[in-house]
Amino acid sequence: MLSTLLASDVVAPFSSPKIDYHALAPELVLAGVIVAVLLADLFLEESKKWVLSTIAGFGLLAAFIPIVTLAVSGHRARSMFGGAYVVDTYSLLVKGIFLLAGYVVVLLSQNYLEEGDYYQGEYYFLLLSSILGMVMMGSSRDLVTIFVSLEFLSIPAYMLAAWRKRDLKSNEAGTKYYLLGVFASAVMLYGMSLLYGDTGTTILKGIGAKLQNGSMSPVAVLGIVFVIIGFAFKVSAVPFHNWAPDTYQGAPTPITAFLSVASKAAGFVALINLIYVAFPHGGDVFQPMIGVMAASTMTLGNVMALRQTNIVRMLAYSSISQGGFILMPLAVAGGKSSGNALTAIVTYLAVYAATNLGLFAVIIAVSRKTRSGEVSSWGGLFSYAPLLGVLATAFLASLAGIPPLGGWVAKFGAFRAVITSGTNWGYALAIVGAVNSVIAFGYYGSLMREIWMKPVPDGDTAPIRTPSSLNAALMICGGATLALGVVPGIILRFSDIIKL
Amino acid sequence: MSQLLRSYLTVAMFGAIGVLLAALLLAISALVRPNRPNADKSKVYESGVDPIGDGWSQSQIRYYVFALLFVIFDVETVFIFPWATQLERYAGFGLLEMGIFVFVLLLGLVYAWRKGVLRWV
Amino acid sequence: MNNFPILTALVLVPAAGALVVALMSKRHPDIVKLAGVGFSVVTGALSIWVLGKFHTGGDGSFQLVSQHSWIKQWGIGWHLGIDGISLFLVVLTGILFPIALLGSDSHHDIKPYTAWILLLEAGVMGSFLSLDLFLFFVFFEIVLVPMYFLIGGWGYDKRVYAALKFFIYTMLGSAFMLVGILTTVFLAKAQLGHITFDLVELQKASFAVSTGRWLFLAFAIAFAVKVPIFPFHTWLPDAHTQAPTAGSVLLAGVMLKLGTYGLLRFSFGLFPEATRYFRPLFLTLGVIGILYGAIVATMQKDLKRVVAYSSVAHMGFIVLGAFAFTGQAVSGSVLQMINHGVSTGALFLLVGMISERRHTREISQLKGLQSVAPIFAGVFTLVMLSSIGVPGLNGFVGEFMILIGTFLTARWWTVVAAAGVILAALYLLWAYQRVFHGQPDEANKTFSELKLKEALVLAPLLGIIVFTGVYPKPMLDRIQPAVNKLVQHVDYPQPQSPIAAAEGGQ
Repeated sequence: MLSTLLASDVVAPFSSPKIDYHALAPELVLAGVIVAVLLADLFLEESKKWVLSTIAGFGLLAAFIPIVTLAVSGHRARSMFGGAYVVDTYSLLVKGIFLLAGYVVVLLSQNYLEEGDYYQGEYYFLLLSSILGMVMMGSSRDLVTIFVSLEFLSIPAYMLAAWRKRDLKSNEAGTKYYLLGVFASAVMLYGMSLLYGDTGTTILKGIGAKLQNGSMSPVAVLGIVFVIIGFAFKVSAVPFHNWAPDTYQGAPTPITAFLSVASKAAGFVALINLIYVAFPHGGDVFQPMIGVMAASTMTLGNVMALRQTNIVRMLAYSSISQGGFILMPLAVAGGKSSGNALTAIVTYLAVYAATNLGLFAVIIAVSRKTRSGEVSSWGGLFSYAPLLGVLATAFLASLAGIPPLGGWVAKFGAFRAVITSGTNWGYALAIVGAVNSVIAFGYYGSLMREIWMKPVPDGDTAPIRTPSSLNAALMICGGATLALGVVPGIILRFSDIIKL
Repeated sequence: MSQLLRSYLTVAMFGAIGVLLAALLLAISALVRPNRPNADKSKVYESGVDPIGDGWSQSQIRYYVFALLFVIFDVETVFIFPWATQLERYAGFGLLEMGIFVFVLLLGLVYAWRKGVLRWV
Repeated sequence: MNNFPILTALVLVPAAGALVVALMSKRHPDIVKLAGVGFSVVTGALSIWVLGKFHTGGDGSFQLVSQHSWIKQWGIGWHLGIDGISLFLVVLTGILFPIALLGSDSHHDIKPYTAWILLLEAGVMGSFLSLDLFLFFVFFEIVLVPMYFLIGGWGYDKRVYAALKFFIYTMLGSAFMLVGILTTVFLAKAQLGHITFDLVELQKASFAVSTGRWLFLAFAIAFAVKVPIFPFHTWLPDAHTQAPTAGSVLLAGVMLKLGTYGLLRFSFGLFPEATRYFRPLFLTLGVIGILYGAIVATMQKDLKRVVAYSSVAHMGFIVLGAFAFTGQAVSGSVLQMINHGVSTGALFLLVGMISERRHTREISQLKGLQSVAPIFAGVFTLVMLSSIGVPGLNGFVGEFMILIGTFLTARWWTVVAAAGVILAALYLLWAYQRVFHGQPDEANKTFSELKLKEALVLAPLLGIIVFTGVYPKPMLDRIQPAVNKLVQHVDYPQPQSPIAAAEGGQ
């Protein structure tokens, strides 16, 4: 390889790659906003730093505009760089989810940063960079692009997790996340190199054409297993979940929201890209593995969550177990319910993003008053902050999958996918999922109990004052959670037509 | 089912070989090497000089900043040299791409400058 | 007004009421209560209107149907309809909710209390009216949430434990039902050619024998927990005892009926073969429930627990009648659902009044109330006799029809179950004797007489008790066509006995 490269005197004429600027517009806008935030931070006085969050927020909304124009301009897939970067309906949908989730995270961060006296410029710069990585992940259809996107979204997240730098827990959060993250990257990279070695291409479609059921080489099997393990770290699937609770608890709360929603979603998007495009015929290899991971992830996440007394830690385990539910449809991907599984995962990601971000918004709002993360600090929330109490109940009920809130649509889709697969694996998973959705109520219910039935700690019933940005985040998430549950058509009409 | 188990057999074998190989190498070297411990051997290695003080000494934070700045310029040159040899071939497109690249790196420099990193004192 | 979507209104009016109440200011509890009662009365009036518009006779098919597409991609629709089986349950719901709101006091936080009750009403109405499996599931789940908060927020000492137990039990049941629903739908898709959750459409599909049985069990567990059928009953005494009065009234009055209604509508409707197969099991569990409930009720020290366990026994009768598969027994079951709702609802209201006055429900603490409050005692006697099943009152009609109808196809079960009737007389009369007879001691001397407002709240229930007992024909006329259709659908070999022939000839 190297010798041919050195010996080649005759250079083929270079033709610049054709770039579809319309298709790349969301990424370009985002990149521009990132530069703007960095420069604005450098030349603004300390008292005017609040402008940064405004720029970041509007920037994310601006990046959303080309997504809409692309969506209305037809369902044709726009493929670039030899198929390494594809903009189609699916990628537009997940990009939209990332951008809106990012916008809510910016809203959550605003007062948290100003009042906590943290570096604002760098914070938004890194946050936007991470979101850009996620947006790129939506379109990545090539091993190298996937890896670049993954690092792009992960490295800023490592730093953000350690943002409260005078707090030991936050340092621990960042370090753990970083060490396990790079370890996962290494495993994944090893798997990717094996896949490349076996198939001779990094384009996912090309890999998909080479890997056929039954005739797969041991090297390819190893490659698939390693790549999936790498992303299992990212989505904190059991047994690769150890970092999640400590990281979630130590990181600043808006970043915890970001990690548990957007970063996790990005991991799933990458898994979808790989499984649907590169390993559609590798069901024998990944299905049992993901099935076992899904079942153990929901069960362990739930059981551990039952024992927590810290809200954020409880939600960390809850988000692990929700991850198990999202993995569930992936375990039957490649079979006859492939399309259903894809719809289910994307729907779940959207609903989960709205609900979980909303719940974190409530946590941030309540802890502004209580300065505590213990479950008991929510006692009697309804009596002195009825709106927050009702919203928190709605988000918890949605996570538990109680109609008519968004959660049921998500759970329904997931169950539909595994049941339509018609395999015994599928039915077994559905039963495990059903039992787990009951266990989950144990801890969602205990939070609701605090809100409605327990006395207020210390009898301090002063109302909670929430800043307008937090209110906006609450309204967006609450509205989305309710709307997705009552009129699921708004997400299904998109998630039903996507295919890979 | 057997097909399914066979695919995982590969992974299991691979793992087993990995562990075995490492264990074997360690075991062989443990058997073969002479074992004569003494105090000097367990000292911190400091280029042959006797170490002074604790191994966990702090180093000046400015060196760290220097290293980062070095990376900015070093990476720049690493990419610019090969690009320059093929400049004619890549023509306008290449110029634009390199312009963006340099711009991003310059942003880093501006950042360092505004944060006061460039002053030594 | 013929096109007015009255069934949709039955669901949406209380739901809107819940929203309106939730948005009101909590500084004016009177206005909140007025609004809550207003919305529930409007719903009740609508349900009476449905009763008037209901077409008697006919072939027992669904009436006043309202059908719209909801989630097109998954074949889920807003499909409501009513037939003889659900008609009186809807009317009962419409009547019992305003009574429960008026007849009990929340003591604190009236605003969320009223809102939860209205949401509960919307959920219960929706469950009784849904003809779409998924819609039914949604409403069935919605019902849990307000009840959980009502028990947990406004109940007695051990309310939090009771609320959680209630929720976990019923949620476990519905989790299995969800899997069952989805599997049913996707298996039916292969036969019907398209995906649909519509009950009427799904009844056209038939399932392989073993698959049908598994699916039947998945549904039956959810309903058995709700009924509750022995051995899934353990949540009920706790929930009943700890719930506030309105909660107990509604739990016994309408929510338990969701279980038996679900069995009739969905388990029987979708899996007739499996229903026949599991018949002996359910007959036996029904009889066990009757005897077990009666015996345990006898030994209770708490008046409310007596009534709670009597519910277990009564629901056993309803299950027994349902699984007898004769027109008479199933009609009796449906009628008995209403009767149990009325009389047990009234009993819980009365027990609630006692505990409001005396702040205890311990039977040993109560004594000689008859001499200080004769009218109260008289009302209690009437309701209690109805619950025992004394001829001339409603309970008798239902139990008699169940026993007669069951005797034809399940003789020995009936013989054992009949003992339950005697036990019912035992535990209720004994409890009555201890509470109302004798000389009142110091604490019971001040027990106040039935107030006018309380009497007005109880009056409609007493009216129904007497009316149904004396003249059940109008109700049976409306129930029977739908029941006959269901019995045909289950297709169990009908007995050729002289009694059945005579009944059929009427």
